[in-house]
Amino acid sequence: MTGLIEFLPAVGQGLLTTASIAVLSIVGCALVAIVLGVARRSRNQVVKLAAGSIVELLRGASVLIYLFWVYYALPLVPGLPHFSPLVVSIVVLSLVGGAYGAEIVVSGLQAVPRGQAEASQALGLSKFLTLTRIVLPQALTQIVPAFASLAIDMVKWTSVVSFVGVQDLLSVANTIRTITYSTVGVYVGVALLYFLLCLLTSWFFQRIEHSLPLNRALRAASTPDARSCPATLVLKSQGSPP
Amino acid sequence: MSWDWDYAASIMPQLLFGVVVTILVTIACSAIALAGGLLMAIVQMNAGRAGHYATRVLQEIFRGVPILVLLYFGFYALPEIGVLLPGAVVGILVLGVVYAAYCSEVYRGALMTIPVGLRDASAALGLSPFAMWHRVLIPIAVRKSLPALMNYVLVLYKQSSFLFAIGVPVLLAQAQLAGYQSFRYLEPYTITGVLYVLMNVPLVLYQRRFNLRLAAGSS
Repeated sequence: MTGLIEFLPAVGQGLLTTASIAVLSIVGCALVAIVLGVARRSRNQVVKLAAGSIVELLRGASVLIYLFWVYYALPLVPGLPHFSPLVVSIVVLSLVGGAYGAEIVVSGLQAVPRGQAEASQALGLSKFLTLTRIVLPQALTQIVPAFASLAIDMVKWTSVVSFVGVQDLLSVANTIRTITYSTVGVYVGVALLYFLLCLLTSWFFQRIEHSLPLNRALRAASTPDARSCPATLVLKSQGSPP
Repeated sequence: MSWDWDYAASIMPQLLFGVVVTILVTIACSAIALAGGLLMAIVQMNAGRAGHYATRVLQEIFRGVPILVLLYFGFYALPEIGVLLPGAVVGILVLGVVYAAYCSEVYRGALMTIPVGLRDASAALGLSPFAMWHRVLIPIAVRKSLPALMNYVLVLYKQSSFLFAIGVPVLLAQAQLAGYQSFRYLEPYTITGVLYVLMNVPLVLYQRRFNLRLAAGSS
């Protein structure tokens, strides 16, 4: 176990790589999820069908299959460039994660009452403003908790990038194993580091959930000093008999 | 490099063997996950504080550590402790146990929504605790959990491709082997991707129909 100390810099490097891939692909996944999710609810049947097919296709096989195909098979098609392993990893993770995220976005958008969008339209808001200012902020209250567990899955999925030659945490661990043969220590340590990364992700999303506009408003409404607010006083005085 | 149909045809037997292995692995993992999950949920709800915390810790570990790390641990580290198992067994056990942890949450949720009155009624009828679980609570919990459990079976099917990492001849491993042997990767990986997606279609369709039937039955 003491022999493992000298590998600490390498492990730190691997951890950093894994963490940056995780952050970039979670951000990419969120963007893909919003685009695909909104497209799936489009009135335009072609857009709707296209988005639906892309989501079903990307959810049809594991992230590993797509990573192998894009990295090993796609460059063999004439005229297609060979991207770096890092780029391929982040793009594939974002797309596959985004396909799962799209479902979350769709059910989040469905949870917002139709009247909200209709009211915005009646007030003359453009479609884009209705989505970004009215519907999405409310949908986020539903979307963020579900997205948090997807993000944790994404952190764990990043371990597949070791197969295309990215020096992430897992591939560093494999290298250390072949040098030191102290298998148990290496994998227990790596498992612990991944576990901490997942905890960190979970904590981060809890913070986001806490700061969402609708949640903040709900909290403000339920705090004790809200009782002294004039509006509630009026309601109370109306409700109770004199 | 362009597509070579003759080569594609020549590797088909190899890939179809991978398909068979993938299906077998999926069935074995699902059996472990569905049965083990139920067992974990029952232990968690009945074995007192110690049982509750023990299952909770297991669940957290299996949900916070990537499957690849657990597979490598089972494949490389367990022999060091003296447990020597074939790769396929390690793979099936790891996948099965990890998803048993996920499934146990589903079962637990279902068990918790069963009204207390049913337990009281079973006690009033003089059913033994075993009969109460076996004949009353578990059948109800399983029926309530089915849609979510089916989802995990679908996930397991996709995750079975990870077993190639420890040399189990699932479809992906067979594709890689075919590629190594002839230095042509386009065909094996493309056919593999298409096969994985195609095999997923009947599963998804069945799940959808099943959910519709369930929704129709409950209303």
